[in-house]
Amino acid sequence: MKTPSYSYLLYLPFVALIGGCATHTRYVEPTGPRTIVTTEINIQDFSYAAEDMIKSLLASGVVDKAPQQPAVMAISRIVNNTTQQIDTDLLTKKIRVALNQSGKVLTTTTVGIGNVAEDPLAKGIQQEKEFQTGKGEPQRLPDFSLSGKIIEKRDRLDDVHQVAYVFQLSLTNNEGLAVWEEEKQIAKQAKKGLIGW
Amino acid sequence: MTKKNIVLVLVCFFSCMVFFPSCSTVNTVERETPTGTRQPIADKRIITDVTLNRKVSIVGLNEGATNGGFLQIQIEVLNLRNSMQEFSYNIEWFDKNGMLVSSPSIVWIPKQIEGRETMTITAVAPATTVKDFRIKLIENVR
Repeated sequence: MKTPSYSYLLYLPFVALIGGCATHTRYVEPTGPRTIVTTEINIQDFSYAAEDMIKSLLASGVVDKAPQQPAVMAISRIVNNTTQQIDTDLLTKKIRVALNQSGKVLTTTTVGIGNVAEDPLAKGIQQEKEFQTGKGEPQRLPDFSLSGKIIEKRDRLDDVHQVAYVFQLSLTNNEGLAVWEEEKQIAKQAKKGLIGW
Repeated sequence: MTKKNIVLVLVCFFSCMVFFPSCSTVNTVERETPTGTRQPIADKRIITDVTLNRKVSIVGLNEGATNGGFLQIQIEVLNLRNSMQEFSYNIEWFDKNGMLVSSPSIVWIPKQIEGRETMTITAVAPATTVKDFRIKLIENVR
C-alpha cells in the first residue's frame, strides 16, 4: 500500500510568506471615516474645514445682502503658512462648488490678483464680446472677495506630538469691509512609538 | 492577614488602577426655564450598532431656518458613559421629492465627546430646496 505524500506541506510556509508580502490596496471613500489620519494635512481636513466654512457662510446670510442676486465672488489670496506644500484650491474649490450649488453665489474666473485671470480664455472672450458689441461698460464687478490663511502650529510634550492647523477665511465686500469671517481649528496628536518615530 | 492575602490585595488594587483609569465627566449648568423655544421634531431611528447607542445617543433634534432660507438643524448628542467617546457623524439632505442633494460639505465628521457631556451639532442644508435630512452615526474606525 502506497503511503500518502505530505511533501507539499513543506511549501505552505513559503506560500504564506509570499502572500503576506503582497500589498493590499483598496478604494476608500474620500469623505468617509476610513481615510488615513496622519499629522500632515490630510484630504479630509480640507473637507472638515470647508464644511464648517460653508455652513457658517450660508447661515450668516451675508451673501443675500448683495444688491444683485446671485452675488458675484472673486477668489483672492489664500496664504499657506504651513510647513507643507499644499494647493489651497483643495479648500477654496469645495467652498466655491457649495456656494455655486446653493444658487446664492457665482464665482468669477476672469478677475484675479494682479489682473491675472484664472481662466484667460474666458477673459479674452469677454473682452472680444465687449469689443464686438461696442459695449464700453465694464463687466460686473465682484460683490465679494474671499481671502484667507492656513496656519500650522506644532507642540510637543514628552512623547506626545500635537499639530494644529488653523483655517482662516474672510469675505470682503467691494467697500473693503470684511462682512464675514470664520476660523476652523483642527488639532491632531500622535504618540511616539517605542522604536523610532 | 497573611502575606499571601496582602499580595493578592495589592495585585487586585494595581489591576484596578490599570483597567479602570479615572474618568473625567462634564458638569453642566443651564437656565432652569430656557427662554429660547425649541422646535423639536419626531424622529425614526434604525439602530444597527447597539454598543454605540449605549455610549452615544441622540437625545434631541431641533430645526429652524437661516435668514437666507436654508434648513438648519441642531442635534443634541449625549455621552451615556463616564469616559470620553469618539464617533463620526454624517448628514444627508433631501429635496421635496426625496432626492439626495449632493454637496462637497457632506462628509463624515469625527467628534470627541467627554463623559456625560451633552454636545450640540449644528448643520445647515446646502441648498434652499432641501426639505429633509438623515443623520448617521458611527464609532470611529481610525
